[in-house]
Amino acid sequence: MTSSHFRVSHRTAYTYGTPVSDGFTMAHLLPRATSSQEVISAEVRITPEPDELEESVDAFGNRVVRFAIHRSHSALTIEAISDVIHRPRVFNGEHPTWESVANLIATRGGEVALEVAPFAADSPLAAIVPELDELTGPVFTAGRSIIDVVIDLCHTINREFRFDAGFSDITTPVSAVLAARRGVCQDFAHVAVAALRSKGLAGRYVSGYIETRPPPGQPKLVGVDASHAWTSAWFPGFGWLEFDPTNDQIPPRNHITVGWGRDYGDVTPVRGVVISSGGGQQLDVAVDVLRLVDLG
Amino acid sequence: MPAATAPSLAYAPQVGRFDEAMADDGLLRPAWSRLVAALGPTNPVQFAERQRQADRLLDAEGAGHLVHRISLERTGLPEQVSTSFRLDPLPFPIGQEEFAVLADAVTQRLRVLELVLADLDGQRQLVRDRILPAQTLYALRSYRPGSPRAGRRLITYAMDVARDADGRWGVVRDMTDSASGLGVSLLLRSVVARLLPDALRIAGVAPIHDHFVALRRALLACAPGDRRSPRCVLLTPGPAYSAYVEHSYLATQLGYHLVEGADLVMREGRLWLRALDGLEAVDVLFRRVGDDELDPLEARTTAGVGVPGVVWGCRRGGIGVANAPGTSVAQEPAVTGVLDLAARRLIGEPLRLGMLGDAQLATTPIVGTTGPSFAAGQVVLRLHAVAGPDGIMVMPGATARLQHPPDGAAPDGITTLKDVWVIGAQVSRRISVRVAAVPQVDLFTSLPKRAADSLFWLGRAAERAEFAARTAREVGGQLDRDPGLGVEPSGWADGALALLRAAQARSPTPPLAGVLSTDRLAAEIELTCGVVAAQIATIVQEAVLVREFMSTTTGRVLGRLAEVRERLGVPAPRADDLDTVLVDLAALTGLATESTVRGPAWRFLDIGRRLERAFAVLGAVEAGIGIAVEPFALQPLAEAVLASNESLVTYRRRYRSDVVLDAVLDLLVGDDTNPRALTFQLDRLREHMAALGWADGLALVDRSSVGALSPVDAVAANGRRIAVDALVLAARGPLLELGTAIVQRWFADPVNPTVMGGR
Repeated sequence: MTSSHFRVSHRTAYTYGTPVSDGFTMAHLLPRATSSQEVISAEVRITPEPDELEESVDAFGNRVVRFAIHRSHSALTIEAISDVIHRPRVFNGEHPTWESVANLIATRGGEVALEVAPFAADSPLAAIVPELDELTGPVFTAGRSIIDVVIDLCHTINREFRFDAGFSDITTPVSAVLAARRGVCQDFAHVAVAALRSKGLAGRYVSGYIETRPPPGQPKLVGVDASHAWTSAWFPGFGWLEFDPTNDQIPPRNHITVGWGRDYGDVTPVRGVVISSGGGQQLDVAVDVLRLVDLG
Repeated sequence: MPAATAPSLAYAPQVGRFDEAMADDGLLRPAWSRLVAALGPTNPVQFAERQRQADRLLDAEGAGHLVHRISLERTGLPEQVSTSFRLDPLPFPIGQEEFAVLADAVTQRLRVLELVLADLDGQRQLVRDRILPAQTLYALRSYRPGSPRAGRRLITYAMDVARDADGRWGVVRDMTDSASGLGVSLLLRSVVARLLPDALRIAGVAPIHDHFVALRRALLACAPGDRRSPRCVLLTPGPAYSAYVEHSYLATQLGYHLVEGADLVMREGRLWLRALDGLEAVDVLFRRVGDDELDPLEARTTAGVGVPGVVWGCRRGGIGVANAPGTSVAQEPAVTGVLDLAARRLIGEPLRLGMLGDAQLATTPIVGTTGPSFAAGQVVLRLHAVAGPDGIMVMPGATARLQHPPDGAAPDGITTLKDVWVIGAQVSRRISVRVAAVPQVDLFTSLPKRAADSLFWLGRAAERAEFAARTAREVGGQLDRDPGLGVEPSGWADGALALLRAAQARSPTPPLAGVLSTDRLAAEIELTCGVVAAQIATIVQEAVLVREFMSTTTGRVLGRLAEVRERLGVPAPRADDLDTVLVDLAALTGLATESTVRGPAWRFLDIGRRLERAFAVLGAVEAGIGIAVEPFALQPLAEAVLASNESLVTYRRRYRSDVVLDAVLDLLVGDDTNPRALTFQLDRLREHMAALGWADGLALVDRSSVGALSPVDAVAANGRRIAVDALVLAARGPLLELGTAIVQRWFADPVNPTVMGGR
């Protein structure tokens, strides 16, 4: 299989209605290395220059940048630029039933209890709600292999939910997305992890980017791409299997991972607190994914 | 006491249930026997009187519901929890030996909870071995994986315990986030000490004050290692929270500044207090703000009561926070439910005290509201512990909270509390009090900006209230004595109306051209009384925010003002209510003058007062003297102007004459020996500006002084004395500018944190 080299630029620009005298920001924008992703370089450029900045690693191993600006400013731009190489993994071997995986997660101590079970816990933005049953019923049939279940779940969400950028925001609960059967990639990722967890499986919310290929013969437009989210499910012998319900795909094909958590709240790309005498802010986000070269 | 007479109590417990006071044979248990003996002859009637006394004492300490309610009503914020509490004057005694058993249980539990938190931040043995499964733990909102590593996490801890109907103690709940009730315990004990001083001594009750010494030492021990004389502040979520009364009391007792989130700022991982003279370093944050609201940057919250970046600062080791961020998870039932297993795992022993579950509770005597005997009530005890360099100390005392079945809420929203006496302590062991190298920052040299702001407005409101009350009283009095004044076309009514409007800080109306109905004046007097009430509300609201700068007596005066304010709200307030207001305002002024150290706190209070008093004099002169009236109307009007500025008696004594325009103006404007005169206020303001080293402020005061020297004559045009108006204008302009400049120079700080999201 081929490897690919991507360059991602994620630009977040705030314009404030009233000057901000003090601002603190926490960002999950730098991609982490994974078993299928090598990070060549990654950096954030912040304007105005922060008075203090620190990078650290959070409890889930994600890279976090915290910075603060203590001078009056009317705009803030955060640009993350990352070079990443994909080396797709091949999976083969045993495919246990989903029930045996659930049983393992429910009972096994050690590494499974420490590293996997946290992602089987209910979380605020991916709450386990009764409305999930209608969705999961036909997918989680008795004795089915975990791989088939995951692929079918991915397929089912993709088929039954409509992509609608105007429907939801970051606080929309899973139950509302389920009722309307519409939302954006973050919502579908939340539905998918909630569905897995409702059956005792572990599901990670994965935050990152996807390259959108232009139709053949047309140049790729800059700035049309957005930050993306998908899901991964765990099973023994393989680890975390990613799936993208929005595109009905098994990544990584053109996916670049930034980090993962229980839900969006653990890996919010940018979260800040500003101190200002007035309100009013405008947010402008642009993501650009560029395929530099397909390596042999 | 004759040995033959066993102490007795007019009390009949329920049959078939453990009772604290009385054994099955009808005899008092030992601790109760000692209590009753120490109390002397006890009868419920006596205790009803003590109840009233206790209510009064609590009000004086600032725990008054009235004061707190006004503050809430003004801020327009919803009450978070039921506001106030009452003290049941009959203490809850517990024998030293029995208490020691509970104290051991508290100590053990605190040790285990600390180890649980350390494990969750480190090895996660409890998760790995599924004692606390990740499926449960990671679903808790209070659990934030990767909390900053701290030395000791739990500095304060509280445990609620109760005895079941069979007489066995059990744990009701743990408080590891910001254990509340410590200040209340101290407050109750100080009230009880005044209520039952002899009994406290005779019964040999363990003193609780040492606990606060230990608390202070433990808090200072949280400071990052490199700080030589660490400074601690107490962070409160603000007066909208019912526990504010306790926070304020605790801060005063500990000698720490009481601060809100907006008073603090993080820089380079360190915490700073926004003080008048710039930023002042803070080393330890004693937080009374919940974990979930401590840092809007880290928690999934939008609330603005915390300090952005404080958890980051904690992570970098630049600040000590007590209790450490992330400790609230330890009080979750999901965690405490497995605490026994955790204890076996982490310290190799089972818990000494189990959870109570939903058992029936034992009974205890309480002071009932009716009837000739004590009633049977059920209580939960809150025990407090502090962990510091000296180990774990359990406070030898507690607060008992009366339970109101079925849901524990009191019918009137008032919680009833009892002071718990640990009786029979052989010797009261005292900790050797080693004072830190340098004491805490002197409250009178360091002043948070927000406190200066409050004190300034407090001073202004007090003056404004006084001026309005005097004017309403004087105009009303003249009208009562001579009802004809209102209907004669002499100009008196116009002047009186203008004076009332000046007292309301409203611009004068155009002349009414003659006759004015008495009703109209009565309505304006009523409006002026409304202004008095509104200004009292401001006084109380601002005073609540700066309670730490006020004496206990001030609390009592504020309580009285809050009370009389309720009467001013009704139509046609009585003159003697206004007199009461004036007496209490005078008391407030007296306390500000005589009981406050001359530091920045007093200075800003006094600046507010002087500025407002200058406006009052100018407003009264403009309204009552600036207007050209018939000569026989000038006499009562000028008297009203003098009286509204409390200068009538001085005038009469000095001039022994009817009113002469020049003399009136001289006394009210130019006389630098009359403490009510404009010049006197300007002299004081000039001193304050000089002390602050603020040239711009000084220049404005000087300009006003020049204006006050404008020559005055009696020439009138269009019903106005032109020269008087010119003087008022020239003197007032710079002062209005000064009012704005003070706010901008000394207080202004944009402090509304908002959370912004991204995608």
